[in-house]
Amino acid sequence: MADYDVIAIGAGLGGLSTAALLAKEGFKTLVLEQSDIIGGCCSTFETEGYRFDVGASIVEILQPMDRFFELMGKKREDYIDLIPCDPIYSFITPDGQRFSYPTDIDETTRVIEKIAPEDVEGWERFCDEALDKMDEMMDSMMLAPMNTMGEAMSMTIKNPNVMKFMPLLLRTHQAVTRSYYKNPIIQASVAFQSYFAGAPPEIGSGIFGFIALTEHLGIFYPRGGMIAIPEAMMKAGQEHGLEVRTGQKVEKILVNGGAVRGVQLEDGTEISSKVVVSNVNAKVAYLKMIGTDNLPSWAVKAIDSYRHSMPCPMIYVGLDTKPDLEAHHTVVTGSIDMMNEVWNDYYTKDLIPNSAMSLVCWPTEADPSLAPEGHHVLNFMCNAPAPYAPVGDNWDRIKDWYKEESLKNLEKMVLPDVRDHITYLEVSTPLDFERRLLSPQGSIYGLFSDMTSLAMFRPNARSRAVKNLYLAGSSTHLGGGVPVTIASGVITSRYIAEDHG
Amino acid sequence: MSKKAKRLLHVGMLVGLVGVYLSLDESTKRYLNHIGKQVPYLPYRYFI
Repeated sequence: MADYDVIAIGAGLGGLSTAALLAKEGFKTLVLEQSDIIGGCCSTFETEGYRFDVGASIVEILQPMDRFFELMGKKREDYIDLIPCDPIYSFITPDGQRFSYPTDIDETTRVIEKIAPEDVEGWERFCDEALDKMDEMMDSMMLAPMNTMGEAMSMTIKNPNVMKFMPLLLRTHQAVTRSYYKNPIIQASVAFQSYFAGAPPEIGSGIFGFIALTEHLGIFYPRGGMIAIPEAMMKAGQEHGLEVRTGQKVEKILVNGGAVRGVQLEDGTEISSKVVVSNVNAKVAYLKMIGTDNLPSWAVKAIDSYRHSMPCPMIYVGLDTKPDLEAHHTVVTGSIDMMNEVWNDYYTKDLIPNSAMSLVCWPTEADPSLAPEGHHVLNFMCNAPAPYAPVGDNWDRIKDWYKEESLKNLEKMVLPDVRDHITYLEVSTPLDFERRLLSPQGSIYGLFSDMTSLAMFRPNARSRAVKNLYLAGSSTHLGGGVPVTIASGVITSRYIAEDHG
Repeated sequence: MSKKAKRLLHVGMLVGLVGVYLSLDESTKRYLNHIGKQVPYLPYRYFI
């Protein structure tokens, strides 16, 4: 008899949501996390009195999280205190112009009208086309499995309204943006989502254009830091017998006769289970933990063909003063062409870009408890995307140089006197990210996302190469991000309950 | 249709496609190049 019904490798949002839901269904479930803290990219660490988020900085599109708690028989409000962040974004243009988008759609229209009256029509057209039945769309599109052609067709037949989003899915983010807006500042303000999500606007799917609107349903910060989300899920699962062990690194997924039979930890301990859920990068799970000897050649070819998503250096800053910012997120924008140029002329050539485009996150605006009284926290992404292995160098060697260049950018574009107020500063390079999360090449969204690696073309949540192996998290449908990785957990748990319940 | 006519038609279509491709802007060409490199893997990806 197996030690557990289900073992989930990795306590990220995908692993925890799958495991908690299965524990609720009566499965004897164990989560093994290599780190001492849970959450993966959606986590928070404490140092010198400050609490910094590892990667994820807000949550939006609450439907998957609410569905998770509903399926657990709980109320989200009893587990997480979500603080609304309004304005959604503040922008700084290359010539220093500043403006913010409030949550309210009409107020946003007035902001656009001041900057580019000619784009009001495009904004209103986009809202009219996409806002209608958005809640319904979120439910049907995000929580439906789409790992096969049949599942995708079934979802479309049940929800014919999703067809109106096909033009977004089949076009690039750049094409979608330019079909609605003429002004380069407005274009950049709604096109940076794909850029920071790991694909330039000329390659990223037009579905990213949708994010510019869904954010107006509200973006939220969980009180206590982003780790409050995985902690809430873990707690909800533990109330149904879920077991979570941290500091337990899985070395191998044990396979016998083409089916999983458990896992082997770094210290050699074997734990048996009927089902294994991988919440680690799919390339690591298949090629390293299972090994090419245990896979058919077509599966090796398939998994080998995926690229990792981009890495993203991050700077964690503690300040002894309130920064002169307007919103939880401040985006130093460029133009769509500048975003494409960073990707094509720098990132893909393993060069670190010298662009000022960056993202500053100010979590203490929402939750002052993350820093000592009067102090603040900034999470700053600069010169991103940046390569994992810069030509002729490595991140350990250039860390100080990178820190200095990023601070210069921060001073020049965002906070002129920031250097006088820094009480703590830590640079997390792609190498550090890889060490902290065991995320290969420091990738922050699992696998690269474009039209050819989404939905049924992303590694299947119910593996067809190894029996009783399931995937959850950013490497499987629907990709990386807080709401979508929770949605993947809901989908994967449903598969397992169907197959083994 | 004779074999020769068929061949001419194919060559004509190919020349037309190359012409269309060359008339595209650099950004669209990069997009098509990117997608073109991924397409051969789609049958494998579907089954993994």
